[in-house]
Order: sequence, then C-alpha cells, then structure tokens
Amino acid sequence: MLAVKDLSKSFSSASGDVKALDQVNLVVETGQFASIIGKSGSGKSTLLSLLGALDIPTSGSIEVDGVDIAKLSAGQQTAYRANKIGFVFQHYNLIPNLTALENVMLALEFGGLPAKKRKARAEQLLTDVGLDADQQLRKPARLSGGQQQRVSIARALANHPAIVLADEPTGNLDSETGKKIFDLLHRLSRSEKTTIIAVTHDMDIAGKTDKTFKLKDGKVTA
Amino acid sequence: MNVVSRGIKNAFRSPLRSGAIILMLAISIGLILSMLVARTSVNAKIDEVKATAGTSITITPAGVFGFAGGGDPLTSDQLATIKPTAHITSTSATLNDQLSTTDTNLVSSLDLGSFGARQQRFENGSSNSSQSDRLATRPAPTPRTTVTGTTNPNSVSTNGGDLNITSGSTIDGNSSSLVALVGSDLATKNNLTVGSTFTAYGSTVTVSGIFNTANKFQDSGVIMPLTTVQNLTSQAGAVNSVTATVDSSDNVDSTVAALTTALGSKADITSQAKQAANSVASLESISNLALAGVIGATIAGAVIVLLAMIMIVRERRREIGVIKAIGGTNGKVIGQFVTEAMTLTVIGAIVGLTLGVLVSGPMTTSLVSSSQNSTSTTSRPQGGPAEIFRGGVQSVRTNITQVSSSITPTIFATSIGITLLIAAVGSAVPAWFIARIRPAEVLRAE
Repeated sequence: MLAVKDLSKSFSSASGDVKALDQVNLVVETGQFASIIGKSGSGKSTLLSLLGALDIPTSGSIEVDGVDIAKLSAGQQTAYRANKIGFVFQHYNLIPNLTALENVMLALEFGGLPAKKRKARAEQLLTDVGLDADQQLRKPARLSGGQQQRVSIARALANHPAIVLADEPTGNLDSETGKKIFDLLHRLSRSEKTTIIAVTHDMDIAGKTDKTFKLKDGKVTA
Repeated sequence: MNVVSRGIKNAFRSPLRSGAIILMLAISIGLILSMLVARTSVNAKIDEVKATAGTSITITPAGVFGFAGGGDPLTSDQLATIKPTAHITSTSATLNDQLSTTDTNLVSSLDLGSFGARQQRFENGSSNSSQSDRLATRPAPTPRTTVTGTTNPNSVSTNGGDLNITSGSTIDGNSSSLVALVGSDLATKNNLTVGSTFTAYGSTVTVSGIFNTANKFQDSGVIMPLTTVQNLTSQAGAVNSVTATVDSSDNVDSTVAALTTALGSKADITSQAKQAANSVASLESISNLALAGVIGATIAGAVIVLLAMIMIVRERRREIGVIKAIGGTNGKVIGQFVTEAMTLTVIGAIVGLTLGVLVSGPMTTSLVSSSQNSTSTTSRPQGGPAEIFRGGVQSVRTNITQVSSSITPTIFATSIGITLLIAAVGSAVPAWFIARIRPAEVLRAE
C-alpha cells in the first residue's frame, strides 16, 4: 500500500519560495491503477518524482508497504528505485545506443539479477509487451513510438516493482496506440498485481482507472 | 553487458567525434613520447660530453708557449704533484725540442718562408752590430724539425682520436728506446720507411712507423718516447707540457683551481671548460625544451579529454538522469564514463605511441642539429703546442650529432603513466558533474 501524508515540496526561486505541493494526502492500495490529473504546473511531475524517490520532500511522509521512503539515505533510495519502482516516461527515455533487449537488461543489472539470468528475463518481458525477436534486437531509433513505450514498460516491470510510476505514458502517441499502451498497463497491473500511478491529461484514460486524484496548485482537490 | 562494456561501447557512439578526440590525443601522446625520448637521449649525451669533451687540462711551464716565451721546464716533482690531484684520471707528458742541421741528418720538410725567417732573425747576430751588418754577416737561416717526446703518441693527433699510423707500428711512450714515429711529409722528404734510421743528437734512431695527421706542421715532425728525448737532450725529468684528463667537465674548474694552488706561479694552466660548458649548455637547453614539451603535451592531452568528457556528460545529462532513475548508482554511472574516457585515451595512446616511435628519432636529431647550427663554435689554426686545443671543439661537435634516440622501457612506462594521468584528470571533473546530476531532472525535462 502507498500512503502519502501531509506531503509538501517547496522550491527556491528568484522571486522567493514556490510551493509545488502543499499538504498532499492520498492512499493507493496494492494492485490499484490510479491516475493523477491536473493542469500544467499543478505539481503532477513533482508528486511523481517524490513517489519515485527521485527527490526529497520538504515535509510529510511517503510510506510504501510501511516504510517511509522520505527518510531513506541516498544509497537506500537508489536501491528503492532499482527494486521497488518502475518508471514509464512520456518520451520513453531509452538509452539510444543499447538495443531494446539491452535496455531491459540494464534495469535487471541495477536490480541485482545475476548476469546469466538477465537475457532470458528481458526476452520474456519484451515478448509479454508484444515485441518479437527481431524488434528486441533493434536500437530505439529503429522502433516506432508505441514499440519504444512497450520497451519502456518492460524495463519498468523488470524487477517486479511494487509501484509503476508513469508520466503521461500515452502523451506522445496517437490515440489508437495510446489506447493499446493503456490497455497493456492495465492488463499488467492486474496480472502482476502491481500498483500503477499514471499522470495523464487524457480524461478518457483517467476515467478508466481505479482511482483518480486531481491536483490544482499543489493540492489534491478530488 | 556491464559497466565496462557499456563504457567501451559508448566510446564509439559518435565515430567522427571519437576519431577527432583520439587523433588529438594521439598527437599529444606522440609528442609526449618524442619529447621523453629526446630528453633522455640528450641527457645521456650531456653525461657523455661531460665525461669526454672539454675534460683535458694542459699545464705548461709559466711563460712558455710552444717554442716561444721563456722559463724552466716542469720537473718530475711537479709531475708527481699533478698526477694524484682529485678527479684527474690520466696524464700525458710532453717534451718538445727542435732539431737543427747540426743535430740531425734529417732535412726539414717545412719551407722556412718569411714567417720562419722572422722567428730566427735574432740568432747568430751580434748585439753591437747594426741592422745592415747583421743581415749581411748572418748565415742563411734553415728550417728545423720538431721533436715531440711524449708518454702518449696519440696526443699528437689533431682530431682528438688515435694517431693515424699509415705504415709500421706506434711506439711505447713510456720506453727509453731509440725509436721514432716520423711524420709523412718528413718521411717523404728524407726517403724514410719503416726500419730506416736517422741521426738525432748524435744517436741513431730507428723509424718504427710513419704517421699522417693532415696537419703540415705535425707531419713534418718526429715523435719519440718522452724519456728518450729527455735523455738525448740531457733534460732528465723535464717536460714542457702535461695534459691531464678529468673525470667530468663539471670538475674541470675545481681541478684547475687545485692545480693552480699546488703549482703556484710556476705553471700556466689552460682548460677547455668554457667550450665544454657552452656545448653542454646548448644540449641542456634542448633537454629543458623537451621537458617543457612533455609538460605542455600532458596538459594539452588532459584538457582534450577533460573538455571532451564534459561535453559528453552535458550532452547525456538526461540519459544519466534516466540511469539513476531506474536504479543506477553514482559509482556505476561514473565507472561507465571513466571507462569511456579510458577507452578513448588508450586508443589515443596506442596511436600516439606508434607515432612517437616513428618520429622520436628524426625529431631528436632535428632538435640537436638545429641547436648545433645555432651555437657555432670556431676553431682557429694552432701552431706549436696545437695539442693544447687538439680536436677539442671537433670532438664536442661530433658528440652532439651522435645523440642516439632510443626508447627504453622506462620511457614507455613513463608515457603510459602520463597517459593514465591524462585519463584520470580528464575523468575527474566529469565524474563530479555526474555525481551532481539529480535523477529528478529526467522528469523536469519531460
């Protein structure tokens, strides 16, 4: 279970402190598919980076299965990201000079899977998201947007994460491909019993998730 | 695929850029090797020059220069004082004399000429006679034959090397035999060959060998053992020139000072310390230039790697954020970039060391040749005691041009060490940049 309590994050700027998040509280049960919606600058990405231990909150707590990740050391946060979190980005963010297979194997290496088992696990994951053997050996530049996002999802799921954080996973795709990616995430959340939290502008997608949080000016309004 | 293999793979991500970096590094490392080789070769030559050139000190009786001047010859006691002086490794003593027509049956091979006539103008004249009377009554002057009694016949050589014996064999300078080496001009003039005899000071002397120095004065003379000449001229123990060899030109000044103190005002001491210092100074300037080259090329190499890696890290800032976001540690990311820098540096080193091996020889020779041209030293013709400066300058010049460029394991190890230093310096700052990149930046860039 993911429980966020009184989470705040402020940034310093030339014009003074800016509150990106202000006393946010939310709970997502294990295996739920939740969405976060809001306008640009509402604090969606900041919330996602705090949930993924990419940044440190100014105050408040983020408990994942009873552990407050805000209080982890830098090394523990890195291990947390490697083993408990999977990221899916709007622009995929695959490593350009590695093949699809190597991109997934990279996450497995960081997750501590022995080298001998990485290739088989990566091939299985890529097959599960719909990439054939030929596509698995291609570099990102030779894959379509949808295929790249599938690789990104396979990479996110590589280490059996407790939570997958998706930052507008369909934002860079056409509607048909976007729907397929959403369906894939939805199916995986069910089959892998993984909690998925997706930031989206697409109200159709948000409407199909188990839970939706609306952010406005750094506060959860619904 | 692990950190190392990813780093190596990344090094070839942009072949054009990597090629340019490798080329610049190769030139830099090639220059480092060439400069190290040049410096080592030149330093070896400096030691050699110090040990061989300009190390001779000539001691003559005070007031005597060749057959001119006046004073008493050096004595065996003074010779005994010279030999044990610190830093002197060997000595050779010489007693010169001239054979007139009454002393020998040899006919001089030198033309008297106006110079020779002027040197003899005071002889046989009366101090009370007028100038016209003296010129009218004096017998016609005749050229003389120079006799060199020496412990070392090679000291008569004019090129700093061994005496060129064209026929027969050399003589033992420490013996007291009635044997002689005859100059080629004198031998021709008197139809002398090996085994021939001639008279000198009333004794019969056997020709042991004929020598040729390409110096008309020397080739018109006779060389005999020192003791033989001392005995024939009734000058037991007397010498009029001692040449002492010092272990290093660095010690010439101190040895001259010690000899001056020991011999006092009874001897004139001449050395080539200044000439040797000048020659070594030009080599030392090359050595310093080479060291500056090593330092400059090292800095240039480090800056090339540093700037290239900073550029690469800045360009891949987002990628670094992604790697950190999916669980990559700072150590792994830094390791990957250090491996990338090392790969570029090692390839640059291989190409550069190959280039260095090819160009170090010609570069060293070129450096030394240009230095030699810019520090031209002139030798002036010497008469009389030509052995004082015999071949000194020529010897130094020959030594300089013989600088051999060789690549030793030490030089190679030093080059590789410097290469690793370049990679370490070139990677350190980018590593610091990498450590500062926060993974959250990957989401801010979305």
